Amino acid sequence: MNRAGIFLESKMEIFAQSVVSGVLTGSLYAMIAVGLTIVFGVMRIINLAHGEMVMLGMFGAYWSYTLLGIDPFLSIVIWAPAMFAGGMLIHRFLLKDVIPRGELNTLLYTAGLSLLVANLALFFFTGDYRTLNLPYALMPARPFGIAVPIPLAIALAMAIAITIGLYLLLSRTDVGRAIRATAQNPHSAALMGVNVLRIDMITFGLGTALAAAAGVLLVPSLYLYPTVGEILIVKCFVIVVLGGLGSVPGAIAGGILLGLVESLGAVYVSVAYKDTIGFVLFLLVLLFRPSGLLGVGRS
Amino acid sequence: MSYKAKLLAALSLSLALSSGALAQSTLKIGAPQPMTGPDAPFGDKFQKAYSMAVEEINAKGGINGRNIEVIIEDHQAKNPLAATVAEKLITQHQVLVLTGGRASGQAVEIASVAQRLKTPYMVDHPSADIITSKGFEWVFRNNPTGSIYPEAFNKFIIEVPNALPKSAAVVYDNTVFGKTIANSAMTFLKSKNVPIVNDEAYPVNSLDFKPIMTKVKANNPDYVLLVAVSTTDAILMTRHAKEIGITPRAFVGFGGGFGVVDFAKQLGPLAENVFSSAAWSGNPNEPATKEFYDKFKAKYGFLPKEHEVEGYAAIYIIADALKRAKLTGNVDADRETVRQSLLQTDMTTVFGKIKFANWEGPLGDKYTNQNAYSRDHSVLAQWNAKGELLNVWPKSNAETDYVFPDKALVR
Repeated sequence: MNRAGIFLESKMEIFAQSVVSGVLTGSLYAMIAVGLTIVFGVMRIINLAHGEMVMLGMFGAYWSYTLLGIDPFLSIVIWAPAMFAGGMLIHRFLLKDVIPRGELNTLLYTAGLSLLVANLALFFFTGDYRTLNLPYALMPARPFGIAVPIPLAIALAMAIAITIGLYLLLSRTDVGRAIRATAQNPHSAALMGVNVLRIDMITFGLGTALAAAAGVLLVPSLYLYPTVGEILIVKCFVIVVLGGLGSVPGAIAGGILLGLVESLGAVYVSVAYKDTIGFVLFLLVLLFRPSGLLGVGRS
Repeated sequence: MSYKAKLLAALSLSLALSSGALAQSTLKIGAPQPMTGPDAPFGDKFQKAYSMAVEEINAKGGINGRNIEVIIEDHQAKNPLAATVAEKLITQHQVLVLTGGRASGQAVEIASVAQRLKTPYMVDHPSADIITSKGFEWVFRNNPTGSIYPEAFNKFIIEVPNALPKSAAVVYDNTVFGKTIANSAMTFLKSKNVPIVNDEAYPVNSLDFKPIMTKVKANNPDYVLLVAVSTTDAILMTRHAKEIGITPRAFVGFGGGFGVVDFAKQLGPLAENVFSSAAWSGNPNEPATKEFYDKFKAKYGFLPKEHEVEGYAAIYIIADALKRAKLTGNVDADRETVRQSLLQTDMTTVFGKIKFANWEGPLGDKYTNQNAYSRDHSVLAQWNAKGELLNVWPKSNAETDYVFPDKALVR
């Protein structure tokens, strides 16, 4: 092959690698954001404790691996249902009475909840950061010379499965229809015989379970410590607003778009401006589509 | 005795006790450190080092009969908070002298507060040149500055046959620490006509280094130089660099996250043969330093490194200054006395020789109260398969032979 050919090939490889990395990271962003957007869509709660729910999922997977030897990816069948129940309990005993007092109250309330959870975790788990090294995931697969880290590939597959499951739940089941009805208009839904309070509780549980699931998927690729939620939640809000508040497909599109833009931006513009590029995109989308990429305006 | 008399007796007794306690009051040293958040493990290291030194000093009779005490305030690795807690230590806890800080960004804030509130600040670990090059007469530093960190690496590439890089990629965080070290390393490489094929600054606590490493891989550099103040960044960037498949002759980190045991613990085999130029932790071939290593290991179960040695030495330097100072009990006057006393420091700790002086650094910075022996305090170390970081260059400090080029990378 001549020189130009090699040059072109390496250019293509860089581009492909950036896209693959971007999509993989973006799918994790999307997973974190979906839970947040679903809670907002149905209940109009901006859950500032969402990052801490992710953190709890991460610690859950970490402990079940280090103490019991359960593969972190398999542990999702423990932690998602456990956090689903946990979320419902939080709603029943902590949130329910605050919701009718308005969005500002729930905002402050979940901010307080996030501090409480993070500090309890600091108390019990200490501030040490931890990483989880899976023996089978030390080195990435290299199809066509493009590095695909195994934990991220598994996480992507599971994120797709969870998304399909969520889609089926929302579109094919009675509970799903009730959730969507409540999201569209809680009063009309109540008039049609939907038990709005119960749906709220299920939705909050679902949002929490999705956060925990995202945490479980993140652990093998990232590190964890009790206040890790802080760095996740900022990205998460950008994604949710980018995709359209309350829109599940929007959160997925937003997550993957942000992952791609950050990755390509870092390679082709400058790493130093990685976050800047993300936020510029964010501002541009809001400028031209104030309700987000796939958002539907709601009066 | 009547009730009143009893009360009076009790009151006077308690008064006598408390004034007695006042005369015996401890000498307070303040240390802002990250006790929670991503840098919490570092705060823990310094806490252990300080308390070991404090226990030893107090057990030997303290400072002229008075005990010393280190008060740690948590700044969570946040720069503005570092200024707040430094001020709190000075005004509320009435400490005589400050130490600690952990990272340069936070230490810069603490130094400004110390200068403004006229309290000596004996820097034990933060390394950015600017901390001692602002002309602050209240700020002292035992450890070498960031621009000195790469000196052992510089010696290595000059002195070891065939080691001079044909090209180098430099990836560093955009903190004071990262920029100082990267700048110093690149200045030297350019002076040797080594092409810098990547010059990449990333925001601290990044979640994804694969894009940067993709960019680096495209240039196929001979050396990859990495600077990370945060351990999580050091771990993630090394992992992503190896995942993407970069194969230089050597990965070289410069202290920070590359010098802590967690680096090898979390990365496992991926940490093997990674160099770290910086981490001066005393000369292990010195008997006194070796003795400290063993004592520390016996007490806490792990070998001390730069942070523990620096923290431990800092308390001894401060104790030495306090011992020579004639304290009056007036905090403001005593702080000035301690500052004067620090200026006269001339001793050897487990870290090495120490004497504060004003001199010019490798990049032309004019240092104030910077340890005059700093240029001797740079060493190149390398992680081995057992997860130990051992000194390899210069020879006088070496604990083992270097592994170069890094064969673990050739597949």
